[in-house]
Amino acid sequence: MRYMLLVYSPESAWTTEEWTACVVASSKICQELQAQGRFIAASPLQPVATATTVRIRQGQTLVTSGPFAETTEQFGGFFLIDVPDLDAAIAIAARLPAAGKGTVEVRPVFVLPDLPAEQLSARSDHGAQAAPFMLLCYDDEQAWNALGPEALRAAQAEAAALVRTLDARGQYLSASPLHPIATATSVRIRQGKLLVSDGPFAETREFLGGYFLIHARDLNDVITVASKHPGARVGSVEIRRLADVGMLVSGQQLV
Amino acid sequence: MIPSAEATSAIDRLFRAEHGRVLATVVRLVRDFDLAEDVVQEAFIAAIQQWPKDGWPGNPVAWLVSCARFKAIDSIRRRTRMQESEREIAGLIAELEASNHDLSEREIQDDQLRLILACCHPALDPQVQVALTLREVCGLTTEEIAAAFLVAPATMAQRIVRGKAKIRDAKIPFRIPGVEELPRRIEAVLAVCYLVFNEGYSASAGPLHTRQDLSGEAIRLGRLLCELCPDGEAFGLLALMLLHDSRREARTTSTGDVVLLQEQDRSRWNRDAIREAHRWLARAMAAEPIGAYTIQAAISALHADAPSAERTDWRQIVAWYDALIQAAPSPVIALNRAVAVAMCDGPEAGLAVVETLQAELADYHLLHAARGDLLRRAGRIAEAAAAYRQALVHAYQDPERRLLGRRLTELSEIQASTAM
Repeated sequence: MRYMLLVYSPESAWTTEEWTACVVASSKICQELQAQGRFIAASPLQPVATATTVRIRQGQTLVTSGPFAETTEQFGGFFLIDVPDLDAAIAIAARLPAAGKGTVEVRPVFVLPDLPAEQLSARSDHGAQAAPFMLLCYDDEQAWNALGPEALRAAQAEAAALVRTLDARGQYLSASPLHPIATATSVRIRQGKLLVSDGPFAETREFLGGYFLIHARDLNDVITVASKHPGARVGSVEIRRLADVGMLVSGQQLV
Repeated sequence: MIPSAEATSAIDRLFRAEHGRVLATVVRLVRDFDLAEDVVQEAFIAAIQQWPKDGWPGNPVAWLVSCARFKAIDSIRRRTRMQESEREIAGLIAELEASNHDLSEREIQDDQLRLILACCHPALDPQVQVALTLREVCGLTTEEIAAAFLVAPATMAQRIVRGKAKIRDAKIPFRIPGVEELPRRIEAVLAVCYLVFNEGYSASAGPLHTRQDLSGEAIRLGRLLCELCPDGEAFGLLALMLLHDSRREARTTSTGDVVLLQEQDRSRWNRDAIREAHRWLARAMAAEPIGAYTIQAAISALHADAPSAERTDWRQIVAWYDALIQAAPSPVIALNRAVAVAMCDGPEAGLAVVETLQAELADYHLLHAARGDLLRRAGRIAEAAAAYRQALVHAYQDPERRLLGRRLTELSEIQASTAM
């Protein structure tokens, strides 16, 4: 079973040294998981100040600076893992340094059977021309429910077609929808105690419903991709560049 | 051959006795509550049709599990689910086919514990944990649970659906965790059990009987837990629930007014429940270290054994409260300890302790009520009345408000008589 561990913490809570130490400690955990065949990919993201959000409303592409929603804890990185069950995912989340400062949200990943093969290792080192970006697709689950299952299926087909286009252009790394927000679990460590609770790290109207990891030349290139995502018409697509530590991927030399 | 009507009623009895055990094993095998519930139902129907003809199987539970298993394989083959790959379906069917062996009693019990642990998983909302446990472990219907918790059946149904979906989609395991993690998880199960008990015990509104049934259900669940995982705190919690429950008849008047422990008619306490509680408490005391439920049960047992409030071993109760504050520090427990101190050393001694808790429990009506009681006993009538009035500001439940009202009336009578 695949899980995405989403790391949320107040960016201001980290000093540069702490942040570096966190990346080093997290990399060690990734190496361990890699040896067990449980690791897929992980990376910290550039600060939220670099975020760009794309929405399509009445056929118009609206590009705004900043994240899709202002929260006290910001999305700062992810881990994509393959473990037997939720208990195993929680155990890993609890070991991440970020669990002590913020929240690690554990989300089961919805694996679509007919997507092109992930290109995480082959394309992770794309040279200076291209950089890895993450598209965070925030869905309004109520809006999708109102549109009905047919519209949702059509949107999934459209997103799958976008993946194939990106794959043909050599830009595709990985993409997946996540299980609905009702399956989210939050993990925190406070005063040395493990706190596990039902639900996402924060209650917002739009929830992270899926992600794309792609290679792109520049932000304009990513905005074009984001505006083709069906989620941009109903929810928001937030663009975040991966931090410059080299994405940690399965089969690669880990930092 | 057994006559059909008799066979059907025998199977009916078997259903009530064993449904939970059969379901627990089948849920673990198919990892899907809805499918498990359907195929277990079908297996019982098959038993009604076949057993009268073919005779009873040697091991009815194993027969039912096996029958449900085959029905699940058929059903999984027929269904097509978007989120399941061919590989996953083939894997699940292969596992189900390979699980064809006779189940030992130990395995069946472990399956029950696995089911309880999954229903009380910390990744589920506490309300969902309670609903799922009552539905899947205790076998209550959704309507019964909804009535007991005073919510609409549709709301409760949604809560249960949400819990089952999370267990399935987030893949909450049906697994007994290792010794490192197990105590923490058992703690969560006991918390759910005690929550169900208190919901029934403190029933202050709604259809009283349905809600009081919850306490009985929690005690049944507590007994099951003691059987499934011999844990000191499980014994302690069962003893505690039995002791509370033994006072059910004496703790309210026929009009629903609260009767405090000191004023209860002790002849109405259920002595059978108290005797049973003592047996569990003795087993709980053998555990190391002694946990918070066991300590609370020990305090409650001292009350149960005392012929009156005055002839209670208050000295020992204070000692147990000291231990409880060590095990689970809380200002509310410190308040209870203060009351016990007053019973040992007089109201002024108790008041001295209560004063130290004033800031922390400023909004807690029972602090002001306890202060009022102690001031009254110390003869400081005007201050006592002020404390009761302060308690009224923070008390919301009608029976408690009536009790405080009665206290204030008593005080004004005392004041009137001393003024004369």
